[in-house]
Amino acid sequence: MTRQERTAWAFVLPVLAIIGLVFVLPTTLAFGLSVTDYSIYALADWSNLRFVGVGNFTALLTTPLFWRALSNTALFALLGVPMAIAASLFAALLLDAEAVRWKPLWRVLLFAPYVTSVVATAVVWRFLLNERYGLINYALGWVGIAPIDWLGSPTSSIPAILLFVTWKVFGYNMVVFTAALSAVPTELMEAARLDGAGRWTRFRHVTLPSIGPTLLLAAVMSVAGFLQIFAEPYVMTLGGPAQSTTTVLYFMYDQGFKWWNLGLASAVAFVLFLLILALTIVQTRIGRRYEWL
Amino acid sequence: MESATARWTATRRALIAGLPALAATAGCSPRRDPDALTFWAISYEGDYAPHLMPAFTTATGIAVEVQTLPASAAHEKLLTAQAGGALPDVMMLYNGWVGTFAMIGALRQVPDASLVADQFPGVLQTAQYFGRDYAVPWSVAPQAQFYRTDLVERAGYASPPTDWAEWRRMAAAIKRRAPNDYVILAYLNWWDLLVTLAGLTQARPLKDRDTRGNFASPEFREALGFYKSLFDDGYAPVALSTDIQDPVAAFAQGYFAIYPSSPPIMLDFRRRTAELPPERWGVTRMPGPNGPGRVSSVSASVAVTTSSRRPDDAWALVRHLTSAASELRFQELIETMPARASAWSAPQMRQPRLAPFAEQVREPALWPAIAEWEQIQTEVQLIAERVVRGLMTLDQGVATMDREVDRILAKRRQLVEAGRIA
Repeated sequence: MTRQERTAWAFVLPVLAIIGLVFVLPTTLAFGLSVTDYSIYALADWSNLRFVGVGNFTALLTTPLFWRALSNTALFALLGVPMAIAASLFAALLLDAEAVRWKPLWRVLLFAPYVTSVVATAVVWRFLLNERYGLINYALGWVGIAPIDWLGSPTSSIPAILLFVTWKVFGYNMVVFTAALSAVPTELMEAARLDGAGRWTRFRHVTLPSIGPTLLLAAVMSVAGFLQIFAEPYVMTLGGPAQSTTTVLYFMYDQGFKWWNLGLASAVAFVLFLLILALTIVQTRIGRRYEWL
Repeated sequence: MESATARWTATRRALIAGLPALAATAGCSPRRDPDALTFWAISYEGDYAPHLMPAFTTATGIAVEVQTLPASAAHEKLLTAQAGGALPDVMMLYNGWVGTFAMIGALRQVPDASLVADQFPGVLQTAQYFGRDYAVPWSVAPQAQFYRTDLVERAGYASPPTDWAEWRRMAAAIKRRAPNDYVILAYLNWWDLLVTLAGLTQARPLKDRDTRGNFASPEFREALGFYKSLFDDGYAPVALSTDIQDPVAAFAQGYFAIYPSSPPIMLDFRRRTAELPPERWGVTRMPGPNGPGRVSSVSASVAVTTSSRRPDDAWALVRHLTSAASELRFQELIETMPARASAWSAPQMRQPRLAPFAEQVREPALWPAIAEWEQIQTEVQLIAERVVRGLMTLDQGVATMDREVDRILAKRRQLVEAGRIA
């Protein structure tokens, strides 16, 4: 080993060790747990533990609530990712406009929700979304829309929570997009304008291609984030009404930490891991194919 | 100049390196008194338990540190603490949990029969596992109907009837007078009311030595049918606990006339007399199909953990907490009802508003003392919610309950059949 290689290893080893310790080892252990029937009886007496192979995975496939949780999570991601990214991009474009004054102030105000505590803001949003006294229904009343039981009806609970989540998270990607937008070359913009390109054409053919990689990153992170949504439904609806906001992570939490079925919960965690991995691979493939974006 | 920068970098690096250590010390704050006994209690009991401690510390010289757990997260917190070996010396448990924690080996057996003397028989049973005592009952909290006297009177009744047929007539009269308000509050994500109704119809929710669900039995169907009818007829709002942010305020405003709850709610009422004057509410026993009957209660007991290194001191604390004097003091402070039978002859227990509880503590409903019961109640309530919302019929509902409960009990069934547990 040359001196250069030794130095390289000295730099890489600590990181590798940490990755091994906090990522590879727990994942392996979780996979180990997921092929056992670890339950509260194993907590009482280790001899009650049995190897069940893929038993937990087949049990999951026949559990209606798991499927419901999967479809709820999919709905959260399908509606939430475009909503959150569109909101971030829209806010970033507004902030990027030359006519806007006090930019740092707006940036701070719009970013503020991101750094607030979920529990505190969820309580406020629960009041906003209240069917009888909520500000949102009050505002809808002005335009003649009958009060909506936002969090109490199984059909409106996911959109209601998504309103809150979007408000809470859009600030982060907004800042990322602002940075990307400031890197869009002005000469290109001006050239396009001189060539007679309109607002939309400039956005589509100049702005979008230059922030493409950032957009892809935001999409990948948002998908991973929305697939792991837990705190918001936990605080706002406890997974209800009629389990319409029970997500995969919520299901896992209930099984694992509430009922101590760690075998089954680990299987859920593993399924979620594979799901996020697969989706990320697909996203990067798509991202690579449409490099012109 | 250069050296100054270098020194700054060095200190900054030291600072960053020190951060995790700082976080670690902040995270597990050092116990104020390493010699103190630790005691975990839930909800109001935890908030007010320090008031009981000076007498104990004076008498024995043992200091006690009390921590409060929130009721909604207590079960999982205690389980996690047992798995992590972090349980306190003494802890409070709701009844129904004693079996679970005795089974996982977290509880010491009660060493002295005098600790569990002078108890109501049905209540003591909830603190047992395999017929042995693992905890000492601390309070009993049977559900009762708290009602708005004015609203019930306007419907032509002195107090809410205690049999279903008459109760429904009263409900219809209340609803007629105020079609936009409701008669009774029943959170769709809390199992309390459904379990109470099942006790009143004398349903036996499990069968075959508690290894299979028995929810399709006529008694449980009767209870679920009545429960569903409360929502179908518009007597109960279709709401979760998260939908009604302040139930006491809603009760005070007349959003619903009857609030089924347990005695500690009287502490909330007492704190908010400006909103809800004492003459505006009363309390009576829960309605059953043919009059009042057996009702389950979210009673509390205290137990000593196996991880306690000072069991004698811990049992002394349990003896102090569960003495008739302490229980009566708690009744004054937070309106819990004493578990010691003799405490009920004290003058303070003769207040008219406590009479329904004095009757009800003698008629407790008993539920299976198995590790899965907490989960079963939760799962059954989730299905009941779907039945109420019309997502499945009552027949589908009870069949689903049996199927889901059989699935939850699969491991228990396997162990019972192998003769490893009873």
